[in-house]
Amino acid sequence: MSNDVWVVVDLKLDGTIRKVTFEALTEAKKKLVDKLGGQLCAVLLGSGVSGLESELGKYGAQKVYVVDSELLKDFNTEGYVIALSELIKQNEPAVVLAGNTVFGQDYFPRVAARIGSGVAMDAIKIDLSGDNNLQIERYSHSSKAIQKQVFHGGTTMMATVRPNSFKAEEAPATPEVISGSVELNPGDIKVKVIELETKASDRPELTEADRVVSGGRGLASEENFKYIYELADILGAAAGATRAAVDAGYCPYDMQVGQTGKAVSPNLYIAIAISGSVQHFAGMGSSKVIVAINKDPEAPIFQKCDYGIVGDLFDILPPFTEKVKALVSEG
Amino acid sequence: MKILVIVSQTQDTEAKIQVSASGDSIDTGDMKWIMNPYDEFAVEEAIQTKEKHGGEVVIVAIGPGRVIDTIRQALAMGADSAVHINGEGFAETDSYAIGKLIAGEIKKLGEFDLIFTGMKIIDEESGQVGVQVAEELGIPHVSLVSKVVEINTDAKKAVCQKEIDGGHVVVEVPLPCLITCPDAMNEPRYASLPGIMKAKKKPLTEVGIDDINYDELGFGKDAVSKEGARVKTISIEVPQIERKLKIIKGDDEPMVKGEEVAKAAEELIKLLREDAKVI
Ligand SMILES: Cc1cc2nc3c(=O)[nH]c(=O)nc-3n(C[C@H](O)[C@H](O)[C@H](O)COP(=O)(O)OP(=O)(O)OC[C@H]3O[C@@H](n4cnc5c(N)ncnc54)[C@H](O)[C@@H]3O)c2cc1C
Repeated sequence: MSNDVWVVVDLKLDGTIRKVTFEALTEAKKKLVDKLGGQLCAVLLGSGVSGLESELGKYGAQKVYVVDSELLKDFNTEGYVIALSELIKQNEPAVVLAGNTVFGQDYFPRVAARIGSGVAMDAIKIDLSGDNNLQIERYSHSSKAIQKQVFHGGTTMMATVRPNSFKAEEAPATPEVISGSVELNPGDIKVKVIELETKASDRPELTEADRVVSGGRGLASEENFKYIYELADILGAAAGATRAAVDAGYCPYDMQVGQTGKAVSPNLYIAIAISGSVQHFAGMGSSKVIVAINKDPEAPIFQKCDYGIVGDLFDILPPFTEKVKALVSEG
Repeated sequence: MKILVIVSQTQDTEAKIQVSASGDSIDTGDMKWIMNPYDEFAVEEAIQTKEKHGGEVVIVAIGPGRVIDTIRQALAMGADSAVHINGEGFAETDSYAIGKLIAGEIKKLGEFDLIFTGMKIIDEESGQVGVQVAEELGIPHVSLVSKVVEINTDAKKAVCQKEIDGGHVVVEVPLPCLITCPDAMNEPRYASLPGIMKAKKKPLTEVGIDDINYDELGFGKDAVSKEGARVKTISIEVPQIERKLKIIKGDDEPMVKGEEVAKAAEELIKLLREDAKVI
């Protein structure tokens, strides 16, 4: 086995690299690569991805493994599983990391099962144990607890990392590019994408955002979610929602924050007409500052927020948003 | 169709939780054990599929004796039979071993068309087992399926919608396949009283930990232990986040109203600027 540490590149639908990739590269270099004495490598899988290598070098990648194939288009799980497992078998890295995105959660455990590795999901800290095995921390039990887990070693150690947990810092390197070592066959792909619907959004992604404004069932309609979007845009924030709001059709599923949806930990989380369920808190309870606007003084969220107003959102939000806007434009 | 559902029992994490004396697990002393909520969606989806296409629903569960309550609940909801891999200590191993054990039992059940399971379990919150079972069985999986659009038993394929970042995809997958279920996929039914009565008579196969052929699974029995686990939890803590709880209320009643509104908005902004320094 080598002492190399790999980071699998997380791509957005538009083909750009997610911030979590740079965060993982930076943290891996700091906490793992220097101690292990191997190389920091990126793994770039996708269709039409060549050209992104230099960006990975900017964050310290010394080597970039590239598999560029039409069959990896649209985040094809099976293609990813084959390509990554093959690369791992050929090169036997010590550690492989990826972002804990919706897609990461889909293919990563399958790769681990294929190569017989252990895998830890959604790490918020990574490090090495005394005997140089991977050691991580992660949330469990509806995010009420933090587990420390250590790998047995002996096989490649795999983990996904939670976006926004580490700081990305540039550390320029000129990576060696290695491609062409894996062949994919159309016959290997059994799950076929027959429709892909994407919506472009100018707002930051929930998991990457420094500020989040979320709405709950109390918004009462899709139309009223404009209050959420307006405040979010003024603050440069991402827009989120509870399951109750998503369920009622007020907003799309990818806005859901919580145990089922996205896990976020921004500096500022503004919860509007959200009661504060355990499942919602599982996704945002680690936010630095939590603000609640709710008309029910007994709502559980008032027991676990920093600031709040007991009031009707339709009364409070217009003047609040107006004043925030004035403040922001003042600079 | 033959439809399998992998269900787990878990601690009800709505409750307050506490670290056990050993420091590496959560105290389960007073906790209620429930069916993992995501698996309820899986059981419901399986029963609805059976109602539409005919066939049978088989529950597969792993864990100690108490898991029987969860199995009975699934049978009472409408599943037809169950396999229980019954033993202590599974909680200490990792999902790699659990996936192998479950897949090993599934292989003994003969041909099947579909497997449903929850997207994750609410205690460990790892979400690996389902996907790993699919890998062990060599069948495709589709995770986080928000809607099973169509199942075509003649062409042996399923069409599923799944949510991704920035949109959704519709995929076509050949059967057999494994589907993981998020919440809100359906409305899980309650077990009816007659359902509960009938559940007691439904066939239940018990597999003991010593009945397992570890050679066939390709790993030793010692892998099913804390020491043998590829990843093990060495400590756990329940962090207490102190919140400031500075809540602005109305003068006469809790709700801020009328002329108080502008002042309250002003005050909140001041707090966010000067106290929290976040805007
Ligand atoms: C397995 C499982 C997984 C789940 N996963 C998630 C998840 O990932 N994310 C999630 O969010 N939920 C999840 N849930 C659901 C969760 O239990 C709650 O039902 C949900 O979070 C409630 O959303 P809410 O706060 O918007 O709605 P409610 O609890 O109905 O609260 C609405 C709030 O709005 C307030 N309100 C109403 N009108 C106004 C107004 N005009 N002005 C001000 N306030 C107003 C009310 O006082 C109330 O407090 C899950 C549940 C299960 C079983």
